[in-house]
This record gives sequence, structure tokens and C-alpha cells, in this order.
Amino acid sequence: MFSEELKTLRKLGFRHLLLQTLNFASVLASGLMIYKGLGLITNTESPIVVVLSGSMEPAFHRGDILFLVNPPNARYEIGDITVYKIPGQDIPIVHRILETHDVVKVVNGVREAKPRPENQLILTKGDNNYLDDVELYQGLDWLERKHIVGKVRGFLPYVGYVTIAMNDFPQLKCALLGGLGLLALVQRE
Amino acid sequence: MHSIYARVNNVSATISTIVMVLLGAMALSSFVFNPHPTGSLEVTSVKVFAGETRRYPHRRQEYAFVTFNITADLSSLFNWNTKQLFVYLEAEYTNAKGVRNEVVFWDRIVRRKEDAVMAVSGKNKYPFRDVSAKFKGSTAANYTLKYNLMPFVGILTYGEAARVMGPIEFPLARERVE
Repeated sequence: MFSEELKTLRKLGFRHLLLQTLNFASVLASGLMIYKGLGLITNTESPIVVVLSGSMEPAFHRGDILFLVNPPNARYEIGDITVYKIPGQDIPIVHRILETHDVVKVVNGVREAKPRPENQLILTKGDNNYLDDVELYQGLDWLERKHIVGKVRGFLPYVGYVTIAMNDFPQLKCALLGGLGLLALVQRE
Repeated sequence: MHSIYARVNNVSATISTIVMVLLGAMALSSFVFNPHPTGSLEVTSVKVFAGETRRYPHRRQEYAFVTFNITADLSSLFNWNTKQLFVYLEAEYTNAKGVRNEVVFWDRIVRRKEDAVMAVSGKNKYPFRDVSAKFKGSTAANYTLKYNLMPFVGILTYGEAARVMGPIEFPLARERVE
């Protein structure tokens, strides 16, 4: 099966191989650029995330894609669905805000006129869980603004299941990447 | 030109374009509908009791207990792109230390249009407590019934269905039920 492909590869020559590698690399790079550019616009480190757990069912299932925003100077409100990541925790969690507390800080003995969004204390809960998330906060009593990656604005079902499948079956990832790479090298036009 | 690769490539590209356009149209179609949810909310009693915290065994904390009546018709929010409604009751107040609080103490997931006509008389589902552990000195609280419309595909939207006329004061904490 592969003898024919190898023959075409030999016929096309070294320059063509280089060109195709370059093409492949530029496709990868532009994907990364779009992702990072989106991150700049929405002010979050990961503007698109895939749901990994069932704690928000029936709203979000495993493999659904969420689009996040993180408006820098706006406070979060209850009912917002946030994605947060606490230091020491590997996986970001998608849960809904149950309580917000806008703390007024005292700086150098002077009480600030109004609460600032970055001093907000937050409590979250998964729609499908019975209890709130205090047990998940790694010893913290409240979630703080700096732990929050963003809030969910848009929703696309099932599409992200590919990534979950690739994580669950690493062979699939190798096969897919290898296949794509080979195809890119061998294609003639 | 007519190799198997080219054909597979063309077919899959066409299919994914069509699916993406359809999904986009579906997401946009949500803006065509003009929902008019109606409802009324009544808070029948607010009581405050002292109790122990969940986390620290000997620390004391006050808990508020709220009972309420909801009658609401949210069925106009159900269109063909509505996956579910997340309906929740919010209390909003400022405590003695100037901290502005918004707390959800009851919620419900509505998945069918038939269930969107609600008549609920209930009590709080989640512990309602203050960050400073005491309600003493807090302003009166505003109670609101809100909803979050979650689509099959597209943008999440939020809204308010009903609110209690005028704020309600927290009573003084009691040690035991009489």
C-alpha cells in the first residue's frame, strides 16, 4: 500500500517535501495565532474550553465546547457560569456562581469609596451537585477573582468530544496526527 | 484531481461548512424571538438563627431561613433553541462592614415548556449566611426571581422574571426555635 506513496514522494523530490512541511507548520501556527488572538480580545488565558466532567448536567455534557470571556473591570454576577482554576488543581472547573461578596478594602487606613471587582469573593456550585464547591477550593473559604479564567458566553454541543476521545485513547491521537502529517507530505497540489 | 483523497476532502469540507452555517443560523435565530416572562414573588417570612459553621466545629454563624411563594409563567422563553432554563432566587443586601452581597438561596432547572408555568411555595435550598457570620447591622434585602436561558447552541442570556416590592429587613438572630 505504502510503496506507491513512497514512489510519489521520491518523484516529488526534497524541495517539495520541505515546502509541504512549511505549509503544515504554517497551518498549525495560524491556528495557534487565532487562539491566542482570541485570548487577547476576551482577556482570558483559554477562550475556548471543552467540558470534561458531568457536574453541570443537563446544561453541559462531556465534550461540549464553551466560549469564555473575562471582562477586566466588570464584576461577576450570580448565575454566571465560570471556569476557575485554583493553584494546586490540575483541571479547570466549570461551575455556576451561587454567591458574590463585593468586599470594600481598607488601603493605608483609608476605606475605599466602592468595592473593586478584583476584591470580589465568590462561591460556586455545579448544577448537578448537591453541595457548593468549598471542598474543592484547596483550603480556601472563598473563590477569589484571580482564580477565575472566565465566564461562559457561548455554547457549542459535542464538537469537543474529539479531544476527550484523544485523551482517553492516546493511540487515536498518534494515528490522527501521523495520518494528517503523511497526507500533507504526499499530497500533490 | 479525482483521487479518493480529493473526494473525501471535498465531501467532508462541504458537510462541515453546511453544519457550521446551520448552527450559526440557529444561534442567530434566538434573537428573533421576543419573550415576555411574567411572574410574581412574595417572601412570606425571614428568620435568622445562630448555628455552627460547616467547616470549623466550634465557630458560630448565623443562618437566614426564607420562605416564599412564586407564581410565574416563563413558557414564552421556550423556543426551538431553548435547551433549559435555570431559574433562581436572589437576595441582595449590604452587610454592616459595607460588603455588598448577592446570594442564591433557591434554584430550579426547567427543561420542558409545560414546567415553565410555575407555582412554588418553598424555603431556601442552600444555606443563607453572611461573610461576616452575622446579619446584624445589614441593610434590608431585595429579593428577585431571575432566569438564565441556556440554548442548544449560541449565546447564554439572563433576565429577571419577578421581584419583591420593597426591601425586607433581617430580624435579630434567635438561639432556638420557639
